[in-house]
Amino acid sequence: MTARKILHLDLDAFFCAVEELRDVSLRGKPFAVGGSPQGRGVVASCSYAARQYGVHSAMPMAQALRACPELVVVRGHHSGYSAVSRQVRAVFEDLTPLVEPISIDEAFLDVSDLPEPAEEIARILQRRIQDELDLPSSLGVASNKLVAKIANNIGKARHKGPTPPRAILVVPPGQEAAFLAPLPLKELWGVGPKTEEKLKRMGFRAIGDIARANEKMMTTQFGKHGRDLWRRAQGRDDRPVEYTHEVKSISQETTFSKDVADGDRLRQTLARLTENVAYRLRQQGLCAGTVRIKLRWSDFSTPTRQLTLPRPTDADGVIIQAACTLFDALWEEGRPVRLLGVGTSNLTPCSHQLSLWETPDEKERRLLAAMDELRQRYGEKVVRRGRSLDVGRNRDDTNTSK
Amino acid sequence: MKVSVSQQQLAHGLGIVSRAVSSHSTLPVLANILVATDEGRLRLSATNLELGISCWIGAQIEEEGAVTVPARIFNDLIGTMPSDMVNLALDERTQTLNVVCGTSNTDIKGIDAQEFPPMPVPNLENGIELNVADFKEMIQQVAFAASADDARPVLQGVSMTVEGSEITLAATDGFRISTRRAKLSNPVDKPMSAIIPARALNELARVAADGKQTFNMVVPDGRGQVLFHLKDVELVSQLIDGNFPDYRAIMPQSFKTTTIVSTASFLKACKQAEIIAREGNNVVRLSISAGQEGPGAVEISAQSEETGSSEVVVNATVTGTDLIVAFNVRYLRELLDVVKGASVALETNANNTPGMLRPVGNDDFKHVIMPMHLG
Repeated sequence: MTARKILHLDLDAFFCAVEELRDVSLRGKPFAVGGSPQGRGVVASCSYAARQYGVHSAMPMAQALRACPELVVVRGHHSGYSAVSRQVRAVFEDLTPLVEPISIDEAFLDVSDLPEPAEEIARILQRRIQDELDLPSSLGVASNKLVAKIANNIGKARHKGPTPPRAILVVPPGQEAAFLAPLPLKELWGVGPKTEEKLKRMGFRAIGDIARANEKMMTTQFGKHGRDLWRRAQGRDDRPVEYTHEVKSISQETTFSKDVADGDRLRQTLARLTENVAYRLRQQGLCAGTVRIKLRWSDFSTPTRQLTLPRPTDADGVIIQAACTLFDALWEEGRPVRLLGVGTSNLTPCSHQLSLWETPDEKERRLLAAMDELRQRYGEKVVRRGRSLDVGRNRDDTNTSK
Repeated sequence: MKVSVSQQQLAHGLGIVSRAVSSHSTLPVLANILVATDEGRLRLSATNLELGISCWIGAQIEEEGAVTVPARIFNDLIGTMPSDMVNLALDERTQTLNVVCGTSNTDIKGIDAQEFPPMPVPNLENGIELNVADFKEMIQQVAFAASADDARPVLQGVSMTVEGSEITLAATDGFRISTRRAKLSNPVDKPMSAIIPARALNELARVAADGKQTFNMVVPDGRGQVLFHLKDVELVSQLIDGNFPDYRAIMPQSFKTTTIVSTASFLKACKQAEIIAREGNNVVRLSISAGQEGPGAVEISAQSEETGSSEVVVNATVTGTDLIVAFNVRYLRELLDVVKGASVALETNANNTPGMLRPVGNDDFKHVIMPMHLG
């Protein structure tokens, strides 16, 4: 089985980041969101500048003010946080339906079925949330939820200074145990103060000590919990990302680093985006009934067009044709385009009529199945349709997001 | 030309021939209907060069003659007239047909009958005699399985093979095959095969009156045409050139599961499932199970993201292994609509191999449907 690609994303000082959007004068200043210092208010979230003074969340506000006399105290706007959180969630879901929200500012994403390397996806996601919502975020990337979450904690902790960490820490598959080994015991899930104390008494200093311990001994000492700890210490965790809703659309878009006015180039990009979208449809066993394209002109106006297909499909060819039809109707010859996107919706579980003998449709289906297998085995870029090949051009001049 | 005919007969005749009128031809005369006196009767003909239909109606002929007039105008005009005698008179010089009925008097500009493509005259001696009612049923059971796809003209046709005293029709669109054979009252001397456009056969079934009459089919050597000679109607069609797929080789011979169900209940269940299924991909799932004790059952279920879901259970006699297989419900319904017979047998092997349906106790009609693949 190939390793999964799990992201743990958490928004850096989320409440503060939202408050900064509300009031830009707060930017860079030490401030905290929380209750009044006159009462028993505590710090719910504090800016990175405030953290320089030793302020941290859950600290009584009065104490925080003593640590940092110029600390600005902001009363929270909780309904505003939920609204922004929903916008963040929408960005996740634009990328994958496999999203497990943990709290208002934290979520797991399973991006295993996306063709790009996990690190690239993490960067795309971080950039999109920054560009579109003006929110800093940090990510941990690993083959499971446990290691992704710890990686994110460690990545953020490595960052020092008055700015948000915007960390991305990747633990490559196979490196889970090695990554965890030197970390302090309390970083491991399930290790609370009591367990930590007991472990320390047993001579354990780091997670690696648990991993090297005898499984039976751990079970005898800590019961079932001990076995879980022992497994986790090796970086093993096969819990799935628990997503709770149905897939509504699958789309991909790309922002050109320089606006593009060349029709062929745009159509080629459209074909490439569509191939990725269709690939993801097939990976999820879905067929799309509606195809949508999105253009962004240089002035940032962003028209979209969509059409309903005669029959739901997951075939590249049909979707590319529909996307090109829409594109030709929308694009004004020669007008520079900043962003191009393809989306599919009206998704249904796939079914197709089998033929008594091989038809061109079936040939296409076999071809796609072979291409999908190559992609799974060797990565997204190993195989492409002739028309979407960007011959003689550097493909890295576009920023793709999904 | 000077004739009088009954409005009803004329309207009926025009209804028969106008289906062969070519509405989009570059040849103007093909948009017209030939109106000609012919051995004491009035002949109406239309053709689009692929299909030609002629119809003869009784008429009082005062003066022989022929002309072609625009089909739509003539048809619409006659359709609005009272059921009375219609007097037709042709002004040869201007090729204008004067149509008088009751108090209405209309002149229609025509085109010279000489420009109308000649219709072949059949040599009925080489004809195959067919029973109207039987052949109509054969067409209804087969022609619907032909393809509507212009890309493969051969599949738009119905394969007809005649050998000894047996005639077989077969059609396939690549997803299903329908075959039906019948006995001929008079055996033929030499075997014959042709691909007849499904459309021509459907027109034949439409124009052939019910009843016990017989008619003749002629396939003249080397002409690439087939002629059907009925009592007052003649239909001629171009044959389709090409190789018809070897459908016999594709039809499965043995089966792991045989499911016998009442045709009426199966049809009803499919119609119900189709209400949901048509909103999606037309796919229905048949869950066939033999049942531990007592009779087995087929559960027909449909699901559509937008509309909802439906399940219908039909009692069945199931022998063999249980199976879940998905079909295009339209294919099932179209077959069950024409199957005749109180019960139908569905024979299957797997969820990705063709299933066969046929009326129980009748081997003449066989229908094969390829399943749908569920992702």
